Amino acid sequence: MKKILAYMGPYKWPAIIALAFMLVELAVELIQPLIIGKIVDEGIMKGDMTYVVTWGSIMMGLGLLAFAAGITNSFFSAHAAQSFAYDLRIALFKKVQSLSMPNFLKFPTSALITRLTNDVTQVQQVFFMSMRFMLRAPLVVIGSLILVFFVNVELALYLVAPVPFLLLFLWYMVKKGGQSFERVQRTIDRVNRVIQENLQATRLIKAYMRGLYESSRFVKIAQKLRDNTSRALQLMEIVQPILLVVMNAALLIIIWFGAEQIQARSMPVGDLVAVINYALRITGNFSMFSFIIVLFARAKASADRMEEVLAIEQATTATTLNPTKENDAEVTFERVNFSYVEGKEILKDIDFTLRPREQIAIMGATGSGKSTLLQLIPRLYDATAGQVTVEGVPIAQWPVAALREKIGFVPQRSLLFTGTIFDNIVWGKKDATLEEVEEACKKAQIHDAIMAFDDGYQTRVGQKGVNLSGGQKQRIAIARALIRKPAILLFDDSMSALDIQTEEKLWAALQKEQATMIVVTQKVHTAQATDRVFLMDDGKIVASGTHDELSKTSPLYAAIIESQQEASAHV
Amino acid sequence: MFKPFGYEPILTKDMLQKKKKQRDKASNMGATLKRIWHYVDEQRALLLIVLLMVVLSSGLQLLGPFLIGRLIDAHIIARELSGMATIIAVIAISYIVLSITLFLQNYWMIGIAQQTVYRMRTELFNQFQKLPISFFDRKQHGELMSRMTNDMDNVSSTLNSTFIQVFSSVLVLTGTVVVMLTMSPLLTLITMIIIPVMFIATRWITRRTGPLFKGQQQRLGTLNGMVEESISGQLIVKAYSQEERMIEDFTGKADELRHVGYWANVYSGGIPKVMNFLNNASFALVAGAGGILAVNGHLSVGTIVIFTEYARQFTRPLNDLANQFNNVLSAIAGAERVFEILDEEVEKEPHAKPLKERLAGHIKFDDVTFRYDVATEKPTLSNISFDIPAGKTAALVGATGAGKTTIMQLIARFYDVDDGELTIDGRAIETISRTDLRAQMAFVLQDPFLFEGTIRDNIRYGRLDASDAAIEQAAKQANAHQFIEKLEGGYDHVLTEDGGDISQGQKQLLSIARALVADPAILLLDEATSSIDTVTEMAIQEALDRLMKGRTSIVIAHRLNTVKNADFIFVLEHGKLLEGGPREELFASKGRYYDMVMQGK
Repeated sequence: MKKILAYMGPYKWPAIIALAFMLVELAVELIQPLIIGKIVDEGIMKGDMTYVVTWGSIMMGLGLLAFAAGITNSFFSAHAAQSFAYDLRIALFKKVQSLSMPNFLKFPTSALITRLTNDVTQVQQVFFMSMRFMLRAPLVVIGSLILVFFVNVELALYLVAPVPFLLLFLWYMVKKGGQSFERVQRTIDRVNRVIQENLQATRLIKAYMRGLYESSRFVKIAQKLRDNTSRALQLMEIVQPILLVVMNAALLIIIWFGAEQIQARSMPVGDLVAVINYALRITGNFSMFSFIIVLFARAKASADRMEEVLAIEQATTATTLNPTKENDAEVTFERVNFSYVEGKEILKDIDFTLRPREQIAIMGATGSGKSTLLQLIPRLYDATAGQVTVEGVPIAQWPVAALREKIGFVPQRSLLFTGTIFDNIVWGKKDATLEEVEEACKKAQIHDAIMAFDDGYQTRVGQKGVNLSGGQKQRIAIARALIRKPAILLFDDSMSALDIQTEEKLWAALQKEQATMIVVTQKVHTAQATDRVFLMDDGKIVASGTHDELSKTSPLYAAIIESQQEASAHV
Repeated sequence: MFKPFGYEPILTKDMLQKKKKQRDKASNMGATLKRIWHYVDEQRALLLIVLLMVVLSSGLQLLGPFLIGRLIDAHIIARELSGMATIIAVIAISYIVLSITLFLQNYWMIGIAQQTVYRMRTELFNQFQKLPISFFDRKQHGELMSRMTNDMDNVSSTLNSTFIQVFSSVLVLTGTVVVMLTMSPLLTLITMIIIPVMFIATRWITRRTGPLFKGQQQRLGTLNGMVEESISGQLIVKAYSQEERMIEDFTGKADELRHVGYWANVYSGGIPKVMNFLNNASFALVAGAGGILAVNGHLSVGTIVIFTEYARQFTRPLNDLANQFNNVLSAIAGAERVFEILDEEVEKEPHAKPLKERLAGHIKFDDVTFRYDVATEKPTLSNISFDIPAGKTAALVGATGAGKTTIMQLIARFYDVDDGELTIDGRAIETISRTDLRAQMAFVLQDPFLFEGTIRDNIRYGRLDASDAAIEQAAKQANAHQFIEKLEGGYDHVLTEDGGDISQGQKQLLSIARALVADPAILLLDEATSSIDTVTEMAIQEALDRLMKGRTSIVIAHRLNTVKNADFIFVLEHGKLLEGGPREELFASKGRYYDMVMQGK
């Protein structure tokens, strides 16, 4: 909560000014009854029209003042609340962007999305309303309580006596409500998740006609959201009746003892009437109070959730290393072990050195650790034992951005973003010119296909884009890597959807790249074109050597070759 | 130009004028409310009880002070303590009953509101299931998600409180007006003068807040869309160290949201202020006019005094109503975005007839032309004709983007053909209902998707009533059994988001198992084994062969050994069928396919 409150800091002046204007409004509101009383007593009762007109005008003037103050308040409070939310959102987003992959994966996507939109909105609303009117209710209550003491101390004590208990009760309810609303927000996460899954898997769901099944799955979660929300809100509904009962009981006690005092002639009737009036005003403000408590409990839940993200400590590596501009990257793995979950080693004792500009292929069964090995190089994950070095420097000592700057990584799934093809390719290099983009696309063998679209490079792709074939997406992702002119190129089985001719042309183009290259592949003829082939099995490199060497020495490699040659034999 | 805190004014004259032209759209608001009302549905009876509670609590709220007044007059001032206990007891009971009625009305209202929102939400989700694929091609995931959560939230919070408040305001208002009319119709009329002013002011503001609220929800949706993408694609963001760029993008979108949100707050904040002011004005009017009338002897002073009190009471509920108006508007903005989706045209099949018998699987394309987007000139498929006899396996080959996947999507009726005819077993595909058609198909798609859940449930997706034994059997055939056994919990291992903890190849194996379990008449394999190493592929080839036997299968693959068992080969290029026919014949004719095979060697 504290961390979140700190984001209000920069807007304390607009907030204070807004509150000041609110106080002006409140003051006018409190003075008005007095003026009305005067107009009635002195003006109307006595038939004094000038008095009515004079004080009527004053009242109008004050009304205008309150009006102006109220409108001005809008400008300040809107600015403070919106900017607070804006800052908070950006801080959250920056934090999310700065998380390491393992930390990042601690939160499901949907949980992060809810926090960045829905949770921020909840807190923002409370902040805004506090500056607008919510603080009024407590102020009226406090003011009235103080004024009662001036009227009659004994009766005032009856009125004040339950207040500490009520405060304790309210504090308890905020805590309790906070927990309930936390559950609500978590359910929203899950709603988000199911929808996201459904959107990602539209084709699969339609293919298997599982619309009804998905609906029934969703119904369960929607019910849960309904029930959790109802329960949280209904729990908070206890506040108002309890406040009312307690305060009204106090009121009746006051009347009872007040009557006795009057009986004993130790107090004028007017005083009792005044105390009763104040008591009524206090109870009148309590419905607003319960409203505030609900919002506050909800905001607290959201704030705590956001803090969870903001509180993650990020290990930063301070380095003084000046990266070279050369494209002569040597890459070594020194006895590297890796596991996502402790105790389950995905990579075991990986040890090799790649000469600058060497091209190697990694082959192996599905799940043997090929992709994981690649992801260690740009430090998406850190090795659990041993180290990876680039240009002779352990990557832990590299500034992360500089290291990744050197690398062109093409993942297994192409992952294009909403935007034009051009936008997606200049991802690799922000300031790239159209010529550079075209050059990269020509190398990636996608230029002609792009030009065939009506809008060429301005064709929209990604979630809101055109239907690209799997191979087209892969080649755009490859162009995105090539445009960086990286020293290290990593292909994670990213040519699987390319036909043989296209792949061969692509390879021919890649030969000219001045880069150390690691290609994860299933195809022997791709491996054949590289300098060395690593065979992986169960997290270990079980064999390495040139294609020719391996085909003679490794039975596994021979089996792979055989598996791929059979086709031609049959034709 | 007035730019508070550097926020450019956002409402253009154009926007407002346009709004004016669409005057009939004003009824839109009513229509939207009516639609929300429709979702309240069977709870209307309970709602009636809630209203009854509101009447009761409003009455009790007046009764308390009234009784206290009586108590003061009759007992305290008169210094008559006897009988006071009874009245106090009555007051105490009335307060307790008041608390109970308040609690109950709110308690039930929350239930009603949440049930209503629940209905809207599930209907929106059902709608997602009914919309054609082409709808989803145009929409960002996160944007649609926002409608389900953020927009629904607006509706929810308004329904929770606004309904009761509006009703009780109307109640108090009616009561007050009745009393005022009996006292002095003339003064009542004078008090009413502010109503048109109020109306105009409210209209002036809501004409602005309406579009602003809508804009706010839209921006929030866009922001949600961006967040969803950037988080789903985090691997690439990091690998390319594009965090800065993402933050920049996000900042831009967050700024837009702040901008609209600012003006929405500013304008909507005006309503209560205007009301407050009019409140004061009306009092001054009554006092002034009343004073004149009193001086002329038309009215007694007492009447005026009481009347001014009522005039104040009259404006308070109006004030509340005006305040609630803002909430209603923001709920409408949210609801409209939900209804927008509900109004999208769903997949229709006017000519479809149910399919009782099992399909043989004879697939025929006759001069089929298709384009994804009607606006584009170039069709994705043009004049495709081929024939796949029942029970045969056909392979589609050709460069990427040639239209292979599109052909599959047409067979699955994800899209309908523009021109030409696609028949299955001699029946035009449009005459077969999608449900029945797909019930006899199984798919392994290019991008294998797995749901959050157990491995077992993911395989069972192919046939919901499949037994555990059948699932295991399918997994064994797909060569997935071994790795599944190694996972923690085996078949009950819970996969994280999109199977994040297993490899792409393993995902493909699972999706093959899913297809195996389905036991279809037509099998569609789109790059089903592209991420699987060839040794494993050989191992499952037998299972695939067995799977294909007796069913019509369509296979897309780049590895020629995957297509080696196909009976027919069709070579596509740029959306056209280059050549096609039985595999041996095609090979012998030494055309493109021959070239490809030779090159593969």
